[in-house]
Amino acid sequence: MMHAIETKKLVMTYGQGRTKVEALKGIDLSVNKGELLAIMGPSGSGKTTLLMILGLVTEPTAGELILDGDNIYKGGKRDFQRLRREKIGFIFQFSNLIPFLTAEENITFPMDLIGTPGGKAHARAAELLDYLEVTDRAGQFPEKLSGGEKQRVAIARALANNPAMILADEPTASLDTDRGLSVMRMLRKVSTERGTAILVVTHDERMIGEVDRVLQLVDGAVTSDEIQAKAPGVAGDHLSA
Amino acid sequence: MNLALKDARYHVFKFISSTIGVSLLLLVVFTIGGIIRGVILDSSTVVVATNADLWVVQKDWLGPFVEASRLPEDYYHAIQSIHGVAEASPLVMAWDHIDHPPASSGLMMFMYRNAQFGTQTMVEPHWLDMVRELRFLLVGYETDHIGGPPMIVAGRGIEASHYEVVADVKTGLKVGEIIRMRGFDYKVVGLTKNIVGFNADPVIYARLVDAQNILFQPDPDLLRNIRRRTGAQLGGAEAVAPRLTEPAMRKASSLSENLHMINAIAVRVEPGTSLEEVASEIRHWKHLEVYTSARQINIQLMGANRLILMQLSLFRLLLLIIAGVIIGLITYTFTLDKIKDIAVLKLLGTQTSRIYSMIIQQALLMGLLGTVMGAMMEFAAEPYFPRRVTATLGDMGQMLVIITIISILASLVAVRRAMQVDPRLILGT
Repeated sequence: MMHAIETKKLVMTYGQGRTKVEALKGIDLSVNKGELLAIMGPSGSGKTTLLMILGLVTEPTAGELILDGDNIYKGGKRDFQRLRREKIGFIFQFSNLIPFLTAEENITFPMDLIGTPGGKAHARAAELLDYLEVTDRAGQFPEKLSGGEKQRVAIARALANNPAMILADEPTASLDTDRGLSVMRMLRKVSTERGTAILVVTHDERMIGEVDRVLQLVDGAVTSDEIQAKAPGVAGDHLSA
Repeated sequence: MNLALKDARYHVFKFISSTIGVSLLLLVVFTIGGIIRGVILDSSTVVVATNADLWVVQKDWLGPFVEASRLPEDYYHAIQSIHGVAEASPLVMAWDHIDHPPASSGLMMFMYRNAQFGTQTMVEPHWLDMVRELRFLLVGYETDHIGGPPMIVAGRGIEASHYEVVADVKTGLKVGEIIRMRGFDYKVVGLTKNIVGFNADPVIYARLVDAQNILFQPDPDLLRNIRRRTGAQLGGAEAVAPRLTEPAMRKASSLSENLHMINAIAVRVEPGTSLEEVASEIRHWKHLEVYTSARQINIQLMGANRLILMQLSLFRLLLLIIAGVIIGLITYTFTLDKIKDIAVLKLLGTQTSRIYSMIIQQALLMGLLGTVMGAMMEFAAEPYFPRRVTATLGDMGQMLVIITIISILASLVAVRRAMQVDPRLILGT
């Protein structure tokens, strides 16, 4: 089975000599399509570094990254911007919607980036707004949306180009428990129904019950990779750190 | 999806208020351009209105508008007889004044108070008493020759043989109004529009003979004094040649009373005749100075108005530079406000060129909108300026090109800042 994302012996080192810091120490990870994975760990464990590498904004010192069957660092120089807009969706802690675009425009924008015709983009945005139950907020600017609504629009934006993987960076950290759970259930729904692999970096242990797997990172190494009890039958043979 | 327009739409107040600021600055740039053109047009108005090919003046003098060239009136007959000359018109022109204070306006009061505040410790007290005189350029011409008013906008042209004048509307005189010059009353029978001297003083046209009387008629007390002095100087000759002394005294006195002087002769040449040939003929045989109309305008512009034009041009350049700096600063501030959004855009995979073009487009939008608004405001304000201000649509077109270049250059600092934005900024925070 082709994984949505796979890493092999991923190493990230900052500095040299006495100031050298090993942020990631040979991470092997694979995430299936339709799988919702939580990456947890204390501050300095390497979560953000891993997120940056998976998001193609930082190149690892060593190792392989295979995104949707494409070995990213093998071969010639790649257009990471293009890969990001075509293959990856992002969800952030504070949603980070573009403030001067309406909810609908925030969703059509990624499609505009890959040249999707206007009519098709609008139809897709309408479908996503409906799917995420924020149709009535389509014409509103982000400042007029509640925290939960913003995150739903952010999920819709992440889904716009039907990416192989969605990276969610603390998507519930700025929300109360109910809204946080609601967002996690929405991510759960997306991964299950749309088959999108979703990696959620979170500190929030309340959300663990909503994910398929929990990956624990400590000091740049995976210390545990557990399938959650409620998870709908996801394979547990992904870890070999 | 045009991000620049979307951002402007969202920050509409900020964008419009910034654009208004830029447009006010550009209004001043346009106005200075209009003033420069006004000075140029004012310098050429009378020359153009006269429709002469050549201007003949006293040898070694620059011309009737900037120096007091004087030559005998009958010279124009000699010029008229030169081969190739179609028409020679004797003209009298000099600055004069009458007691006719212009209507006081708020602007004038402001100017006076402002000048008083700025210079009261530097010049004589009371120098700034309100103006009491109407200054004008008096042009005397033969009604059957060139040199008269080109177009009458109210009333009629001069028809009577004496004591009628045509004045420019800027004098504030009305048709039918009587003005007193050198002890005689003259009736304003017609009005012209925008006929002014190079310093923007309005022109009053009179018949040649009236203008000669006004400008060259000495004061009676002065005349008596001259006669007495001439008599005293010739007093010694009476014993030697008593019969010659009296005619000599009369002749000497009459020289100072000679009114048959003119300041210039406007010449039109026959079609197909070389201006240079006619000019050199006049210079060689009549010992007079000859200028083409273009040279005559140039003498006024580059002589009397050269420094003010240079000053205005420099000021205009400074304002353009300031406009560029301000557009740059506004664009930079707009960009700083969007640093996080730019990081998100980069993370979403937005093409770099698209982010930079958003910044440049916003600067352009502000600059071009500001230019159009500034031009419109300038056009609307033109009639309210005390002297001629003339900006054109061509100026606006030219300014749009200049502002396009300035806006692009000004936005480069903001683009450079955007280039430094790291998309990682948005992750892990």
